[in-house]
Amino acid sequence: MINFFYAYQPLIDFFLLNAGFALSQYIVLRAGVFSIATVGIVSIGAYSAAIVMKSLGLSIWIAAPFSALVGLAVGLLLSVPLARLRGPYQAIATLAFVQIVAAVALYAEPLTGGALGMNDIPKQVSTLGLVFALAFVLYILGSLSRSRIGAIFDALRQDEAVAGSLGISISFHHALAFALSGAIAGLFGALQAGYIYSIEPHQYGFVMLTMTLAAVILGGRRSIWGPVVGAAIMTFLPEIARPLAENRLLLNGLLLVVVIIFLPRGVVDGLIALVRRRRTSAVTWPAESSKEVRT
Amino acid sequence: MSLTVSGVSRSFGGVEAAQDVSLQVDPGRIVGLIGPNGAGKTTLVNLITGVLRIDRGTVSVDGEDVTAKTIVGVARAGVSRTFQNVRLLTDSTVLENVTLGLAQQEHSSFLDCMLGLPAAQRDRRAVRDKAMQILADVGMVEYAHRIASGLAYGHQRRVEIARAIAVKPKYILLDEPVAGMNDVEAGEMIQLFKSFAERGIGILLIEHNMRFVNALCEQIYVLNTGRIIADGTPAEISQSPDVIAAYLGT
Amino acid sequence: MLAQQLFNGLVLGAVYALFALGFNLVFGVHKIMNLAHGAIFMVGAFVGLYSVTLGLPLWAAFLIAMVFTGLLSVMIDFVAFRPLRKTGDAEFAMLIASIGVEMILVNLALRASDARTLRFPFGIVPVEPFFLFGMRITPLQFVIAAVAVLCVTLLAFYLYRTSFGRQVRAVSSNERAAMLLGVEPRMIYLQTFFISGLLAGLAGVLIGLAFNSINFSMGEPYLLRGFVVLILGGLGSLRGAVVAGLALGIIQTLSVAYFPTGLTDIIVYSLLFAVLLVRPNGLFGDAVSDARVARR
Repeated sequence: MINFFYAYQPLIDFFLLNAGFALSQYIVLRAGVFSIATVGIVSIGAYSAAIVMKSLGLSIWIAAPFSALVGLAVGLLLSVPLARLRGPYQAIATLAFVQIVAAVALYAEPLTGGALGMNDIPKQVSTLGLVFALAFVLYILGSLSRSRIGAIFDALRQDEAVAGSLGISISFHHALAFALSGAIAGLFGALQAGYIYSIEPHQYGFVMLTMTLAAVILGGRRSIWGPVVGAAIMTFLPEIARPLAENRLLLNGLLLVVVIIFLPRGVVDGLIALVRRRRTSAVTWPAESSKEVRT
Repeated sequence: MSLTVSGVSRSFGGVEAAQDVSLQVDPGRIVGLIGPNGAGKTTLVNLITGVLRIDRGTVSVDGEDVTAKTIVGVARAGVSRTFQNVRLLTDSTVLENVTLGLAQQEHSSFLDCMLGLPAAQRDRRAVRDKAMQILADVGMVEYAHRIASGLAYGHQRRVEIARAIAVKPKYILLDEPVAGMNDVEAGEMIQLFKSFAERGIGILLIEHNMRFVNALCEQIYVLNTGRIIADGTPAEISQSPDVIAAYLGT
Repeated sequence: MLAQQLFNGLVLGAVYALFALGFNLVFGVHKIMNLAHGAIFMVGAFVGLYSVTLGLPLWAAFLIAMVFTGLLSVMIDFVAFRPLRKTGDAEFAMLIASIGVEMILVNLALRASDARTLRFPFGIVPVEPFFLFGMRITPLQFVIAAVAVLCVTLLAFYLYRTSFGRQVRAVSSNERAAMLLGVEPRMIYLQTFFISGLLAGLAGVLIGLAFNSINFSMGEPYLLRGFVVLILGGLGSLRGAVVAGLALGIIQTLSVAYFPTGLTDIIVYSLLFAVLLVRPNGLFGDAVSDARVARR
């Protein structure tokens, strides 16, 4: 058992990081914002953590919250112009943002090391640290899910005009989703920097963007477990057999097409909906069974 | 103290969808807005509630000018609405739809919500209980945990009305609330709307069914091709030659 | 010197325009944002190369690549997009499906090429430049410019002068109304996707020849540039795509020539971001804002 764990530890760490990125992507999608800025903010978080750790010698305990704050600020800043855009326009604008971040990381060589990136970042992040960070983020998102904020996010995703007609501020809650997404991205960017020794601009590009987006779609956009399960599928499934690992992209691409066609809500939300429908069709619900109410 | 629309106009590419429309809804009164299909009734609702921009004229709620406000601003001024082609959150349950209308009345802070503190949980429980009461008012308690999209059309309308009333509006605009209901159900709705009015809510009832409007409203405005062509009591309206012409389509 | 830069920029821009035309056609007519377009472009370059390697003449390689990518594009529509047309949030779902397709195609190319960069055999196109008005012009540049002009003309003729084209335009302005008038939507999807794929494949072979470097990830930068063209020119506007494609080519060439390396991308994408904020429907799109919630 212990040997098994050590053999797969890098993979598990990789999954934990991916789950964090996916949660950042998830929270904006849940609120009905088609932003794909996550990868850009992860990059900013990773670089700011690497810079403060290397040049100021600060520990990850300071660098990670610092990066989360930076991410939060960037998310909030982005939300202002993006409030004017909708749907594919938001996607394109945030894609441009990701490209700008990558280009700046390449260009600002004195600070970021340019194309070579930054190396010899002190490794201070362990598996346990990643588990702790993921649990922390899941706790916060879970609490929000059960509160009115989660209900409002779900409403904004389904029909923002209806939410507005009930007096719910659309721009405020979109900004909130951006801020949360940014903070999570910044935090996990820092953890990645503190885990893998070196970072370079090329890492935070189109491939990571599509992988992160795919994890959320596979898992689901409503329950907080959706992106976690999605990240798990995308990380572990290709590792089951060698031919699968060699065709990781093919496998994930196929999964994505099949899931969006046959299970458009994603694996987790799809299953939840299925269970719900089973129950409601079997019995007419007694009104007082409020324990069963899912929020 | 009233919902006042004065001289509101809006044109779309030269077509006047609303022309110098003025009307008033007082608290506790049920006012009808009728007119043939395509008269511009729903456009007017959209102009009042901030969905569409107003070219000329003003809308005010109890003296507060909301002409330039967005959907959210108008809603917060105390105007609630239902939609002509019911708009429920189709992926959510009936209860979730109604609690959404109550979300603005929760007091817990963002921090409470984020950390899952008892305050937030209390809020949710209170809101859920309140929503159940409102669902009882519209006779939908037994459907509380059903997914909204699976309901019959008439039931969906009731849920939407419940959601609109949950925000504790001063005024409510009901866009064809009994479409798709049978006479028994429509009768129940008459009682329900009267109870709203007794609570002091001003109701603007948009309909093209004259019989239903006559049963409920003391005052009726008649809209045709974007203009108010008549207003008065049901008796006065039914005598007006303009109205007869508009309805019989001369 | 400036004239030379402008000319080089126009040639590069012509390829961007070819690429973006297909991308924009599908978006304009069907509201499908096809992120696999870059991968189709890449496949075009591969097929062109393999045809040449098999000993076929260059013109035949072009033809095979174009037909192949045209059919590929139709097939993608059939397998990945068609099942999603009737779903609730089709716009989002199709975009996601197209990402899946992109991953599949990139993976196949990666395996086929063993992740290596492939090249056309030397001398397949004459490299001796000729001089015109003091500008140095390679035969390939000339071919690219000519092909671009020809394709834009043919596409314009097809859309504005033939009955098929009129049907396509009818669908793009109002699909339901067009169907009521007896337009067969399946035929329209077939045509737009075929043309779109064909243009992507053509651009792929041209770029493969121009830079003589073909690899599995070559589609990505062009897809990103495609977005820039799409937004600058206005979503769904074909005239805009041509103008914006040329403009982007010139901007890029000039900034490479006159600014420090590395600044180009920052300039191009900041431009995109700025244009989106000021005119969300593009410089040449109509001025209707897409914000759905404020007073309209």
